[in-house]
Amino acid sequence: MALVSPSIKATTQAQVRASITRRDRNIGGLVLYVLLLIAVATTLLVLFTLLARLFAPALPVFRDRGLSFFTGTIGSNPDKVGIWPGLYGSFIIGIGVIVVSIPLGVAAAIYLEDYAQNRWYNRLIVINIRNLAGIPAVIYGILGLTIFVGWLEPLTTGKTVIAAALTLAVLVLPIVIITATEAIRSVPQGLRDAGYGVGASKWEVTRDHVLPYAAPGILTGTVLSLARALGEAAPLILIGAITGLLPATSLDGPFTALPMTIYSWSSKATPPKSVLGFDNVAAAAGVALLLLVLVFNIIAVIFRNRFEKQRIGL
Amino acid sequence: MNTSKRRLAITGVISLSLLAAACGSDSKTATTTAAPATTAAAAVTTAAAADTTAAADTTAAADTTAAADTTAAADTTAAADTTAPAGGPELASGEVFVTGSSTVEPISIRVGELAKEMSGGSLAVTVEGPGTGDGFKKFCAGEGDVTGASRKVKDEEATLCADAGINFVELQVGIDGLTVATSPKNTAVECLDTAALYALLGPESEGFANWSDANALATELGSKSVPLPDAPLVISGPGEESGTYDSLVEFVAKKIATDRSQDVVFRADYASSANDNLIVEGIESADTSLGWVGYAYYKAEEARMKAIAIADKEGNCVAPTDETIADGTYPYSRPLFIYVNVDKAKANPAVASYVELYLSDAGIAQVTDAGYVAEAAAKLATSRDAWSAI
Repeated sequence: MALVSPSIKATTQAQVRASITRRDRNIGGLVLYVLLLIAVATTLLVLFTLLARLFAPALPVFRDRGLSFFTGTIGSNPDKVGIWPGLYGSFIIGIGVIVVSIPLGVAAAIYLEDYAQNRWYNRLIVINIRNLAGIPAVIYGILGLTIFVGWLEPLTTGKTVIAAALTLAVLVLPIVIITATEAIRSVPQGLRDAGYGVGASKWEVTRDHVLPYAAPGILTGTVLSLARALGEAAPLILIGAITGLLPATSLDGPFTALPMTIYSWSSKATPPKSVLGFDNVAAAAGVALLLLVLVFNIIAVIFRNRFEKQRIGL
Repeated sequence: MNTSKRRLAITGVISLSLLAAACGSDSKTATTTAAPATTAAAAVTTAAAADTTAAADTTAAADTTAAADTTAAADTTAAADTTAPAGGPELASGEVFVTGSSTVEPISIRVGELAKEMSGGSLAVTVEGPGTGDGFKKFCAGEGDVTGASRKVKDEEATLCADAGINFVELQVGIDGLTVATSPKNTAVECLDTAALYALLGPESEGFANWSDANALATELGSKSVPLPDAPLVISGPGEESGTYDSLVEFVAKKIATDRSQDVVFRADYASSANDNLIVEGIESADTSLGWVGYAYYKAEEARMKAIAIADKEGNCVAPTDETIADGTYPYSRPLFIYVNVDKAKANPAVASYVELYLSDAGIAQVTDAGYVAEAAAKLATSRDAWSAI
């Protein structure tokens, strides 16, 4: 504490500090402290249990199977199955979500934040978008089945990974819009005014000042939405992801994704003769999904750090 | 500046490797779908070598080498016309889509894996299992070349197919036995007859929480299994969407419920699940549980459940075993079918090859491998004749 001058002896210094802190303590603060500690400990405990529950059964799979687990296809024998179709499907879905929902979402956020006037219909749009973010995923599955598998069949060629990617992109679009809106709102008004002051147009200010400043916040939203999209199984069930046998991966044919693979393996009985169980491979597929999300997130974090450095002019 | 450059480089490497992985798949797809006959023949020989280790069946290995010899001269139409299929028929290349029953799905998957192995990847089979009813809906809409069914096609489904101009052939591939089971700790129940099961599970037993609650109804129906024990009744079984539910309803409730002018369903107040593991868990977790699963699941999890023997018409208790199901003495067994779209089989040699393989000895061996019971030789011959007649 800066109040105590260094000339006072160490013992008295400690006594003074103790008397100050003792006076500061109160029962309410102590209870709150303990409660917060319990909250953190519970969260960590749940997380570690989850990871242990996932990694322990998955380890034998990685040890026994190695790379062949990643290159093999789904099937009947847990000793031979692999997650390649799921990895491929989830990867394409990730790319599709980035390509579709981020430009659309950021554009919508720019419009709502900088261009839209404060009228009742614009407020209605914002309220609707916020509500859309809370709609259960399976409803989006029905939407995807109707629109992307049904009406847009010439584009998606039916129950394909393209239809799945578009459905999940629509699913996360509200989240992208909301986080991007908030990131754009956090850009100081002075920055915009400075731009207008030197005669820049609205578009120039948005492009050169607002967007670079808001980029880290937008990327954080992207990471969240991408993780959500990669983990969804419910819409994929409706769109018709394959869980039985899938010999080849393609953009315009039958597809599957990692969450579907995990879901179907979790409910399969292990054949009597096999060494590894379907619960083992399901856990290993879960680890693979975690890794895939991690790779996407690392890329986003690297980009975010770049933008942040640009912002402070390094 | 330096760190950001390094980070950029890392990003580049990661995205490049991901791209490479994605492109790798594309080229793999291209080669598997468009494999010329010569490479297919070469691949079959290696598949044969792999087969000897995989299948402990020496005849299968011999058959695959035989197939390798003939693939060079493989004529797709000839393959479709071959009548009595041997162990390994010649396989055309192409794509097959199989839908239908989730009960038949494991067999179709195994035959599909066999087809991939024997053709060196040129016969690509996709299998899904949304259920018998959903399968027919798709099949009659022209989606899918083959559909699996854990019961015969219903009249309205046949009409649906006929209206859409889809001709199909029905082929029995095996038998599934249903197993009514309880916890291994339950010593009070060894055998039940259909009347007692109706009294426990039927539409009139809603609210029964104790086995003995069903005594009055069971006695009224002339059950020989009364008195039922005074113990809590905890039921877990498949839900209405499942073919296993339909089958047991048919076995247990159809006749009695119709006679008593009740709906042909089971009581709605039990723990239903589409996930067989959860059903097994439910049966295992309560000491006096009652549930039912397909015989395949019962066999896979035999230690966790006790099968209840079922009394046949003469009142003899028959336990579900491979033998009693195969010879039909076990009352609750059902045939498994595949339905093949005839026009697609004629137009697409890959479909014909797949069905050919399905009915071959190597294909039918997958039925037992999947935990079901092989059909009698005469029935198999009927299926083969029906197939060669198209």
